Amino acid sequence: MTLLTVTINGRAYGPREVRDELTMNDFLREYLGMTGTKFGCGAAQCLSCAVIVDDPQGTSYTSPTCVVPAASFNGKSIRTVEGHAKNGELTPLQKAFIEHFAFQCGYCTAGFLNESQVLLERLAKKPVARADLDKTIAEALDGHLCRCTGYIKYHEAVRAVILADPNRYLF
Amino acid sequence: MRSNLRVPLSVAIVILSANVLAAPAALDAPPDGLASVESFSSIGDRAARSAAIFNELGKVLTHPRCLNCHPAGDRPRQGDMARLHQPPVERGVDGFGLPAMRCPICHLKANFDPAGVPGNPIWHLAPREMAWEGKTLHDICVQIKDPARNGNRSLDALIEHIGEDHLVGWAWAPGYGRQPAPGTQKQAGALVEAWVKTGAECPN
Repeated sequence: MTLLTVTINGRAYGPREVRDELTMNDFLREYLGMTGTKFGCGAAQCLSCAVIVDDPQGTSYTSPTCVVPAASFNGKSIRTVEGHAKNGELTPLQKAFIEHFAFQCGYCTAGFLNESQVLLERLAKKPVARADLDKTIAEALDGHLCRCTGYIKYHEAVRAVILADPNRYLF
Repeated sequence: MRSNLRVPLSVAIVILSANVLAAPAALDAPPDGLASVESFSSIGDRAARSAAIFNELGKVLTHPRCLNCHPAGDRPRQGDMARLHQPPVERGVDGFGLPAMRCPICHLKANFDPAGVPGNPIWHLAPREMAWEGKTLHDICVQIKDPARNGNRSLDALIEHIGEDHLVGWAWAPGYGRQPAPGTQKQAGALVEAWVKTGAECPN
């Protein structure tokens, strides 16, 4: 057993005793009822379960939760799909997903949203050339699976957010 | 049709005899194990003994537990069938993956058997120049002696690397659902040491 303390979407949870074999996905969905994070393949291959991890250096990255023990998140700060909108106001990225009809069934959306958010935060710190934008988006979203074939829609939505604020994300 | 698939008994005996005669040193190796260093002492010729020892060590070097992370390309392989790694990760500049998909994100300090994910504190790919996939044992042998293609290691350092390195040692404790490398890490280290002491000769 491990005593788990984790910050999720800015709120502290725990300390709470968890079994060492408990996955973070089960902790979020079954213990906390945060079902926005999906369980898909269970093998880190579809990445519908990805959440954002904020590291102390001020950067962020995504992590699958289905193959990773909850205990490994002890002391960490993460963001899930439930943490994007503030006071009911969707983020530009969420609005773009809707405007571009990026998703149909929506099962992969949380993973795509988190990955795209991490990309935006990375580009805000380290902009890329306009000519490299499409390649950068494709590489960032690579690995996330969508069975409704929404790839191009997601891609276009992320591109639209970036192009709407080129001074922030591009050089 | 059926009779065409049969091997005549006389031919089978000849093949079996030839194999036994060609590899007398490995006779004491248990199934999925490694022959002891002592079992090679019957080979009088030093160079032949050295090459035979490396041949035995080759059971480890060419095992999926080792080859999967010494790939020829930029993607590791996984499982006993050496499938391409899923999700589609790549080595990145330092062997720890691309910025968006670093190895330690999933591969933690130890195996996580509930999800079948192997782990080690420094889980990463061997450098591109240390690729073994698709190579003959002779080529691997020549490569493993070359500091430019073995991580700048001396032959003595190879003994320690294979015999004691913690990440290499994972091959013998790979967790649920994966076949461990043959023998033990200690036995493999002993084979490397014996190979070095006999001149580090390569099999043909």
